[in-house]
Amino acid sequence: MSPASIASRVQQMLSRAGFGLVLLVVLLALNVWLNPARFAPGAWGTLIGLAAPLLGAALASTPPILGGRGGIDVSIGPLMGFINAVVVAVLIGQFGLSEPWVVIPAALVMGAGIGLCNGLLAAYVRIQPIVATLGTYLVLTGLTITIVPAPIGTIPEWLRAFNQGLSFLPPVAILLIWWGVRRLPYYDQLMATGSDDRAAYTAGLNVPFIRLLSYVLTGLFGGIAALSLGALIGSADPNVGPSYTLLAISAAALGGVSLAGGRGGLVWAAIGAIDIFLLQSALTFFNVSTFVLQVAYGAVLVLAVSSTALQERFLAPEANR
Amino acid sequence: MSAAAALLRRHPLLGAIFITILLHVCGTVLIEGYSSPFSIRAMLVLAALLAIASTGQTLVIILGGIDLSIPFVIGFANVVAAQLTGQGMPFWLVAGIVAVLALAIGAINGALSAALRIHPLIVTLGVGTVVQGLVLIWTKGFPSGSAPGFVSAFVSIGGSLGPLPVPGLIPALIVMAVVLVVLLGRTSYGRKLYAQGGNPTAAPFALINPLAMWVITFALSAFFAAVAGVLLLGFTGSAYGDVGQPYLFQTIAAVVIGGTSLIGGRGSYPGTLAGAVALTEINTLLIGLGLQPSLVQAALGAIIILLVSLYGREPHLRTTI
Repeated sequence: MSPASIASRVQQMLSRAGFGLVLLVVLLALNVWLNPARFAPGAWGTLIGLAAPLLGAALASTPPILGGRGGIDVSIGPLMGFINAVVVAVLIGQFGLSEPWVVIPAALVMGAGIGLCNGLLAAYVRIQPIVATLGTYLVLTGLTITIVPAPIGTIPEWLRAFNQGLSFLPPVAILLIWWGVRRLPYYDQLMATGSDDRAAYTAGLNVPFIRLLSYVLTGLFGGIAALSLGALIGSADPNVGPSYTLLAISAAALGGVSLAGGRGGLVWAAIGAIDIFLLQSALTFFNVSTFVLQVAYGAVLVLAVSSTALQERFLAPEANR
Repeated sequence: MSAAAALLRRHPLLGAIFITILLHVCGTVLIEGYSSPFSIRAMLVLAALLAIASTGQTLVIILGGIDLSIPFVIGFANVVAAQLTGQGMPFWLVAGIVAVLALAIGAINGALSAALRIHPLIVTLGVGTVVQGLVLIWTKGFPSGSAPGFVSAFVSIGGSLGPLPVPGLIPALIVMAVVLVVLLGRTSYGRKLYAQGGNPTAAPFALINPLAMWVITFALSAFFAAVAGVLLLGFTGSAYGDVGQPYLFQTIAAVVIGGTSLIGGRGSYPGTLAGAVALTEINTLLIGLGLQPSLVQAALGAIIILLVSLYGREPHLRTTI
């Protein structure tokens, strides 16, 4: 890639993901200034470990959104919770299979399998994605509570490392896989489908299959994010998973991923997720109640998305539909 | 068989009614007392509360949007009504304040989504989060107060209205449903709603003001959510900020089971009524069969997917070209 094209891509990213990125820089500066100890290089492992489940969830929820026509996977939170419960309580707890070469593939296969179900329901049975994945949301939440009624279990040492020194590994793994996907024709096909699925279909693309794969990617990434989640909470907990759904989708929107499809990418979702994490982190430092935190979080979400929309309208009027 | 399927696709309302009758027959055969007057009255009241909460969701979805703020507005109305009544304010004033605030919350949702072309999913989620946070700050997390007696009597399962063996809520809902059917089918607002939802690009050329439609419809949605919140206060007796949480996905499920398409421009209020009754039947049946709450949830998810795949499928892409 030539330097000029890199420069133009960076410029393109800045013009659209601008607000999320500005917010990130401001919040990061604020956090470092408020709480230097927490953000010192030595503490980065733990810090990233705290952010990694949300980061992973936001990255995972993005591919179906890119595919357009209401594509969304609201089951991402329960999916992470379910895989966490099965891995910690069943695989490690009951069968004693705690080696990484068993647990990691198992998490990935489970994630991809659930993603495949979601994709079949949304793309081939043609149930509206939010309804189809709401169905799996309820199924996964119910199954998780049935398997693990209350938090139990412990995690092996290698998984604990994903909350310490190696906490960057799961998110980086997701981004690496996505980097690989971007080299494939599939990426362009997904974005074309998201921009205008009728045109993509007329051009001969197998639109349902492209959308199906985007849900499989979500499941696969969700499986990786579930490892971060397990490392962070250190047990199998039925209650933490579902809350990640709305956070993840907010993060994607905050970063500038268009919920109408065809615009955005995983890096933008990551920016949005880091924004939310830093916002929570800064507000927690002020020791405000969780109620204030909630108001601030909602207000920043609306303001950030509004500013991105305004900025787009004034800076790039030709990009408006 | 295919003729039946085609009939269901054209009249999804029949599907919801058929499923409801089927479920009721199953329940009566399998569970003793399922068709007892008390049980039927209980189901009617629960279904009516869900139907009122889903009213706004129906309108918003016909418009082509979605409203995730409904559970938060329900909780807001529930807590504010209890708190103000507890401070000795007359109920007409309480109802007026709650209604005006709810209309304002909805108007903000609609205005932001339409004017800035932000996906309503994110706007309503953000605004809802702020509303809930503000209520929590105001009550410090411990809402007090209770409903006036006549509100409780209005929704009480054991209540009766003159010679009718049902509480006032049921006839009131029927009157409201008639008004809504007239509103949607016989007024210019209704025609504009279907036109805007069916083809947002063409609607402005038919002199429909999209911004006005979005503001009015989202305001109505929040208003009906607030009504549901106050009625729930009467039903449960005391204020609870999270009382609306189950309604986040249940309102969407009721609307979709009733045959309203999430794409917009299609759907009906009687469908939502049937969807609300069907959902209540499913829930009651599963609990009556002795399933644990977590498994009820899982089965509910599977049944929603099954029902929607029977008659709520989207057309294939090739038919839209």
